[in-house]
Amino acid sequence: MTSPVQKTDPEVLAAIRALTQRLLSKEEYEALAAVPISDEERAEKLALIEWFTRRYPTPAARLAYIRRAYASWTRAA
Amino acid sequence: MESQVVEERDLFDAIARSGARALLIGRRALVVLGLPVMTADYDFWLHADDVEVFNQGLIAMGLASSHTPADARKRGRYVLENGEHVDVLIAREVRTVTGETVTFDSTWNRRELATLGGGVQVAIPCIDDLIATKRFAPRPKDHEDIRLLEVLRSSRLRK
Repeated sequence: MTSPVQKTDPEVLAAIRALTQRLLSKEEYEALAAVPISDEERAEKLALIEWFTRRYPTPAARLAYIRRAYASWTRAA
Repeated sequence: MESQVVEERDLFDAIARSGARALLIGRRALVVLGLPVMTADYDFWLHADDVEVFNQGLIAMGLASSHTPADARKRGRYVLENGEHVDVLIAREVRTVTGETVTFDSTWNRRELATLGGGVQVAIPCIDDLIATKRFAPRPKDHEDIRLLEVLRSSRLRK
């Protein structure tokens, strides 16, 4: 049985937004960029890309999916 | 003006028909390339001389500009809105956080065209240039997007 989707606390949403939308300084960016992509991370990302492009093989299908998914996600938030 | 949901293909068709040199950047360009990332907005990098034709092309879609073309050029960016949110960057060149200068003209010259069906195409930067645009004003999610783009680029090179 599935449980109903819980609305996210607006304060939590605001805190997440502030964290993810803040601009990185040159030093912060360079520190992050210096971390090499591990084999494990590469494999995970490739698997994600392969799944997405197999399921949605055209740019139009991919754009339409993201649009639907975003609408559904914001309705639940 | 009444808010409306814009048909995506119609939006790209209107931009192509306008004749404006407009590059889809931001996360929707990543989606076009096959990267599953979430986004609400449309981001375009537009040639500074093409603001008027770009806006004119989108009037029929009900998208209204936040600024006059002259003000938009002074600010370097503006927004078109009506149900959808379209962010438009109109700088001739932008310095990345790491100090490189990226020009619109060189990015436009290296663009790729993605076909959306019905003869509609959208111009996006090549992967290297898309990575550079992600360094204009990077947030943590831009860094994650760059890593996804780097993996995609290396997988293309192996093919």
